Amino acid sequence: MLQVENLHAGYGTSEVLTGTTLHVKQGSVVALIGANGAGKTTTMRAISGMIKPASGRVLLGGQPVQGLSASRIAKLGLAHSPEGRKVFGPLSVEDNLLLGAYNHLPMFFGFRGRAAEGLEKVYALFPRLKERRLQAAGTLSGGEQQMLAIGRALMANPKVILLDEPSMGLAPVIVQEVFNIIRRLKESGVTLLLVEQFAKSALEVADYAYVMERGRIAVEGTPAQLHQNERVIAAYLG
Amino acid sequence: MNMTIIAQMAVSGALMGMVYALIAYGFQLTYATSKSINFGQGELVMLSAFFSLTLLNLGAPYWLMVIGGLLFGAAMGLVVERACVRLALEQKSEGWILLTIIFGLLGFSAAENIWGRDDRPFPSPISSDALDFFGISITGLEIAVAVGVLAVMGVIELFKHKTLLGKAFAAVSADRDAAELMGISATKTIMLSYGLSGMVAAMAGILISPITTVGPTMASALILKAFSVAVVAGLDSGFGVVVIGICLGALESLTSFYLGSGWREAPGLLLLILALAVRPNGVFGKANIRKV
Ligand SMILES: Nc1ncnc2c1ncn2[C@@H]1O[C@H](COP(=O)(O)OP(=O)(O)OP(=O)(O)O)[C@@H](O)[C@H]1O
Ligand SMILES: [Mg+2]
Repeated sequence: MLQVENLHAGYGTSEVLTGTTLHVKQGSVVALIGANGAGKTTTMRAISGMIKPASGRVLLGGQPVQGLSASRIAKLGLAHSPEGRKVFGPLSVEDNLLLGAYNHLPMFFGFRGRAAEGLEKVYALFPRLKERRLQAAGTLSGGEQQMLAIGRALMANPKVILLDEPSMGLAPVIVQEVFNIIRRLKESGVTLLLVEQFAKSALEVADYAYVMERGRIAVEGTPAQLHQNERVIAAYLG
Repeated sequence: MNMTIIAQMAVSGALMGMVYALIAYGFQLTYATSKSINFGQGELVMLSAFFSLTLLNLGAPYWLMVIGGLLFGAAMGLVVERACVRLALEQKSEGWILLTIIFGLLGFSAAENIWGRDDRPFPSPISSDALDFFGISITGLEIAVAVGVLAVMGVIELFKHKTLLGKAFAAVSADRDAAELMGISATKTIMLSYGLSGMVAAMAGILISPITTVGPTMASALILKAFSVAVVAGLDSGFGVVVIGICLGALESLTSFYLGSGWREAPGLLLLILALAVRPNGVFGKANIRKV
């Protein structure tokens, strides 16, 4: 569903990704782990078009999308929930969710009706969001904002979701809650690329995992394989 | 000095103030999506007025002139966005400030060369006869100004708050990158806001011209006051600009009546200084919600 081949990307003149290759099969959850500054966020940004890759290919459902604008790539079925959540602070929770489905809704009138089903699904997953649907997103707690960011990505009904550190800055209890949600998404058949600091938990939900070091994939394999790799155990699972 | 004269002065001034409000609203529209404004907005008002006058002189009926003028304003707004704003915003620079000022200067000399320096009357089918409301006389033209301003602003406010595209405006303003990730093209949204802003400027020109006449300098005083209104009201409240616009217009008219017309510009400038010193976010401005 998502194929990244020999991707090179960076900021200005500094190259961060030096030939990243990874694959996410339809209906699978793939974890991308690695130390701070390894280039995980940069990988996601290059996939979703927030930065333009210098070379390499990104295929979404077989179609090359590298070099397209972020809004084009989103229209083609990629949802990226970025690092730091980035909800629309002044807008209400519900407006944030509606905008998540922007590509599927009429621009002027009648969009509420068309979005009702999707909204109900997201509210069923996150009852807390329903309670706060009219509140400004910027005034939600960190955990609630994360739920909103995930819900907003789901609203697009995308082919692939990229989740960049959904557990960042959350209390341990809430982190477990977030992983439970990821598990439920997986059961419902969502295709997911997940970047996580909590490597252990990430490997518990993932079907496959990549370990990134200095802009490259250093190790890859199923969670069981990684659990037997001494280097990985020492660096990330210790 | 009797109450009727005071009321008369206040009402005429207030109606004038609604035009300041409409121009200020044009600033708000582009600020809302891009945090940039067109410093040549006054020239846009003036150019659109000249263009509309030319349409009338060519024999176009009044309603066609209004449509043509509004389209011209929208087109000019798009030109400003493409030529002066887009690249600067992409590079996250403040270059649009200088470029839009230059656009204004160019527009000014273009108008002088094409239409000449003289002020010209702008015919209107609406009567300039005074109607009497409880002893206060208001002309049909003045009523047209009030109705036109409120109608245009009302329609655009409905669009901003009730349509998904309007919410996309707010999303681009809150977080451009995140909006792009939702599939919202920030560039197109900003283009649209400049187009709307140009249209609003043209509307202001068409409404005010029958009262003031059309000339290259017609907007230089207007724009300063519109700017004061925008700053005092804050750059995000449509309701705010109307209230402040009306107050400023009334205040000006009363000042020039009591202190002499030389003092006419004083209230606007005083209000501007006061606002910047006391409420930099505007009286109606929301305190910024800090991103977490
Ligand atoms: N906007 C930017 N401009 C310049 N350099 C950047 C920018 N963002 C990231 N970098 C650099 O790119 C490298 C990789 O950063 P990236 O954010 O991709 O790491 P990461 O793996 O997501 O780390 P973390 O786990 O801390 O989120 C770092 O060396 C960082 O300094
Ligand atoms: Mg990161």
